[in-house]
Amino acid sequence: MQALAQFGSIIIQLSTQIGGTAMLLAQIFRRLAPPRFDGAEFRKCLFTMGYKSLSIMIATAFVVGVILVIQSFVFVERYGMRSQLGWGAGFVIIRELGPVLLALMFSGRVGAFTAAELGTMTVTEQVDGLRCLAIDPISYLVVPRFVAMIISLTSLTLIGNTVALFSASIMGDLMLEVDHHTFWSSLFSMLTPADFMLSVTKSALFGGIIAVNSCFFGLSTTGGAPGVGVSVNKTVVFSAIAVFVVDFYSTFVLG
Amino acid sequence: MIDLLDVHVAFGEQDALNGLSLHVSDGALLGIIGPGGCGKSTLCRVISGLVQPDFGEVFVHQTNLRQCSRQQLHVVQRDIGVQFQNDALFEHLTVLENVSYPLTRLTTLSCSEMEGRSVEALATVGLAGFENRLPNRLSGGQRRRVALARACITKPRILVCDEPTAGLDPQTSRTILDMIAGIRYQTKNTVIVVSSDVVGLFSISSRIALVWNGQIIEEDTTTKVRQSERAEVKRFLDDARLPFAGWTWD
Ligand SMILES: Nc1ncnc2c1ncn2[C@@H]1O[C@H](COP(=O)(O)OP(=O)(O)OP(=O)(O)O)[C@@H](O)[C@H]1O
Ligand SMILES: [Mg+2]
Repeated sequence: MQALAQFGSIIIQLSTQIGGTAMLLAQIFRRLAPPRFDGAEFRKCLFTMGYKSLSIMIATAFVVGVILVIQSFVFVERYGMRSQLGWGAGFVIIRELGPVLLALMFSGRVGAFTAAELGTMTVTEQVDGLRCLAIDPISYLVVPRFVAMIISLTSLTLIGNTVALFSASIMGDLMLEVDHHTFWSSLFSMLTPADFMLSVTKSALFGGIIAVNSCFFGLSTTGGAPGVGVSVNKTVVFSAIAVFVVDFYSTFVLG
Repeated sequence: MIDLLDVHVAFGEQDALNGLSLHVSDGALLGIIGPGGCGKSTLCRVISGLVQPDFGEVFVHQTNLRQCSRQQLHVVQRDIGVQFQNDALFEHLTVLENVSYPLTRLTTLSCSEMEGRSVEALATVGLAGFENRLPNRLSGGQRRRVALARACITKPRILVCDEPTAGLDPQTSRTILDMIAGIRYQTKNTVIVVSSDVVGLFSISSRIALVWNGQIIEEDTTTKVRQSERAEVKRFLDDARLPFAGWTWD
């Protein structure tokens, strides 16, 4: 009986959260056509979310490329697939690892920061302060973050993919004696524009998901400073789950 | 003019306001007292249009806040200044920017005019020279004063102060209440102050309302409230050590 009640409460909580994020998303779209949001706030977000994440994202991407080649060492050696290394690395990085790993990194850095920032503003009544000045918190706080996160994550993923491919090609040259020409020509001859499009679409979707999640949990924070911690935690967990779910469906649908 | 009629607000299963009715006439300085958690902050939020009541009617300057459009609500809110219980200062803005923020949002004054008015407002609350500090480098009392300056910078027709004195020493607390009384005296606007400094509040208010379990159980002039025969009122005022003339330890 108690287990049933617990199960029920989890279901209710989950529905509230999914419904809440969906409603927030609807409110965001209503303010995007025509676009009504704060330009100064948008530029600030773009700077802190995109530019300031650049170094950590490049570092992550570089390591991803290196590890990918190290992991494939055994197979490439055993089956003598040196000519296919570029294609293999490109396929995995562009279609899957790049968007997903960078999105998780982004959610840990930018999503968590946004949830903490909006959460603190909510519990210290700064958000109410804005509403009192007849400023709509969604146009002023949420929409700029939403657009900035989509743009930031998409561009960061493009940059990150490139860095990961370069590091893979360098590592392939050093470890497996695959020269750069072989690497890049196999990559470009086997990959289609659709693969690049998939990468961009995925990262834009992930950016949107992380933005809506972090803003929803941030703005629905209750219970003072400990509540902010709870919101940050929820943001990171739910963003990760949502990224994987959306990754699954988008790979399925978009091929 | 503010009129609340039988207002009910609940958060989940918790009732915050439970059939509260209140009339505040223009130019009054209404002091609101009551035990913790009785609904004082919720009352302030209802008046400033931040919380919609579940039942009941709220009229501010003849606008029904429950039935008006978003635009109408914004028009009403422009004329209400709120000082929140947690200061609600924008932490990334300096003291001066915090105070001038409502002006940049709600008025079309030039930059120098805005700055002039903000500096003047800061001087009124005794914070001249603090213009370029960030809020996290202020003491609790100084933060309250910045919040007060920001709440009244646009000279709103209604000023709502939620616990401007909480957690302050008695002297600072009295100074802040005196500042509020000064603002009321200069502008002749309606002021609503929630405070746990009951003695200070009685000394500045024209009327006092006592909130108890989400209802207003007494609302009258300070003298009448002091003489009230209701058990709860007497007990609350006794606990606040109010009319104990000649009280000593022995
Ligand atoms: N956001 C909320 N969610 C749930 N319950 C709330 C919320 N805000 C207020 N309450 C509840 O409503 C009641 C009234 O709260 P309110 O903040 O108005 O009290 P208060 O009189 O201002 O108290 P204090 O003097 O401690 O500031 C309390 O019992 C509180 O638990
Ligand atoms: Mg309160």
